[in-house]
Amino acid sequence: MASHHIVAVTNLHKSFGNLQVLRGISMYVEPRQVVCLIGRSGSGKSTLLRCINFLEEPERGEICVAGLTVPAGERTRKHRQDIMLLRQRVGMVFQHFNLFPHKTVLENLIEAPLIVKKVPRNEAVAIAEDLLVKVGLSEKRDVYPSRLSGGQQQRVAIARALAMQPQVMLFDEPTSALDPELTGEVLAVMRNLANEGMTMLVVTHEMGFARDVADRVIFMDQGVFIEDGPPEQCLSNPRDERTRQFLERAYA
Amino acid sequence: MEIPQETAKKQTSLPRLLPRIPYKASVRLWWAFWMTLVVLAFSGITLRFGVFEFQAISLDWAFIQEWFWFISRGVLTTISLALLAIVGATLLALTSALAGLSRIAPLVSLSSIYVSLFRGTPLFLQMFIVYFGLAEMGLVLEAFVAAIVVLSMNYGAYMSEIFRAGIQAIGSGQREAAAALGMTPMQTTWRIVLPQAVRIITPDIGNQFIAMQKDTSLASAITVTELAGRARQAGSPNSRFFEALIVAAAWYWLMTILFAFLQERLERWMARSDREVQE
Repeated sequence: MASHHIVAVTNLHKSFGNLQVLRGISMYVEPRQVVCLIGRSGSGKSTLLRCINFLEEPERGEICVAGLTVPAGERTRKHRQDIMLLRQRVGMVFQHFNLFPHKTVLENLIEAPLIVKKVPRNEAVAIAEDLLVKVGLSEKRDVYPSRLSGGQQQRVAIARALAMQPQVMLFDEPTSALDPELTGEVLAVMRNLANEGMTMLVVTHEMGFARDVADRVIFMDQGVFIEDGPPEQCLSNPRDERTRQFLERAYA
Repeated sequence: MEIPQETAKKQTSLPRLLPRIPYKASVRLWWAFWMTLVVLAFSGITLRFGVFEFQAISLDWAFIQEWFWFISRGVLTTISLALLAIVGATLLALTSALAGLSRIAPLVSLSSIYVSLFRGTPLFLQMFIVYFGLAEMGLVLEAFVAAIVVLSMNYGAYMSEIFRAGIQAIGSGQREAAAALGMTPMQTTWRIVLPQAVRIITPDIGNQFIAMQKDTSLASAITVTELAGRARQAGSPNSRFFEALIVAAAWYWLMTILFAFLQERLERWMARSDREVQE
């Protein structure tokens, strides 16, 4: 299906054992759109994100990112190669940062461009240095991650994902592991990224961020979309009772 | 740190027999004391305390002088054996650990049989089987080569478990992060997981190497003239086993001390990415 959508998820199914986590999810994301996925833990929002870059292999359905369509559940060499290609177009930021502790900040940023995309070293370093300016951590270039605060580590992790020059960024609860006073700096970086026009899918509990930055908010429950619309509607005027209950607790 | 008032008082109220020495210096002093005792024990002197008489062990120094270099030449053989075998063992251990974790059934089972077999039989027997036993079957190996093969296989089996534990200790988040960046499983293993695993297991590998330095002496049983073998050659015709073996033992100890020192330096260098935290 050729379309103008940069991410197209079609009829996605995923279960862990007997537990059905995603029950036929379809989602179409426009370029430059910022989508926030909200919902209780266990609602399937993180799993959906992890299926998009095949960190979890869905059982059924299809993922299409920037024109590359990868159907689920195949076991061929071509399938594995397609996943590798797809991952080059999709950056991901994890709850626990997952920086490489044995590499300096700069080495973290240039690792994948060098060995996956085979970018010449000086070019990779130049891109990395620009990104460090962007996340405000130029002076930490040659420092090891263990020396950084959680907020700084997450900003490096964002820069590391951006160093591959992806077309879509996935954020899996990027501020959930942070002390409250450190979430601001990470959210600010994400806000800038959104303003620059990056397509972003964000699983988050930060309702303020969703309200201010998202073009679209999706409320998930038990593996399906309950609510899907602009933040004003989704967060202020939800149609479904479950969304209302969730929001009451979130704001309580 | 402040000492609570009460204990401070108690300390001053006791009469002090010796001047107060810092802990580290005191350990060194005691170390020197015990070492002096050890040396004295081999000095051949006689000590008399009233009716008690202590006769220290008396060594044949003329023999030691005559045979010292003959025995010591074995050190080079011992070190070559140990170095070549630790390289072999490391390669085998890594291969076996990766095979064991590959989730490819024929490889997983092969790795587990290898580990079980070589941990389940004595090193001494393995030496004999590979050198004498295989020779009977028509495969004649040079003794030195046979010793390296056996030491590599045996230590490789033990170290396989060490590697496996080290690799498993690296959290799945590291693999996921690398995968999300488009790295292949192979690239992830070599560039992300193994460098971190190796750092964790370096102390264990060092211990294995220290143990192996001494297990090379078993090679003398299959005619390799390394340190222990030469000591026996020197001691036997002269009935001076004790002196000859003491010389060999001193060399083993010295090599171990030297390697333990190098290992400590290596570990400190490898820990540089943690150390920065405390700067």
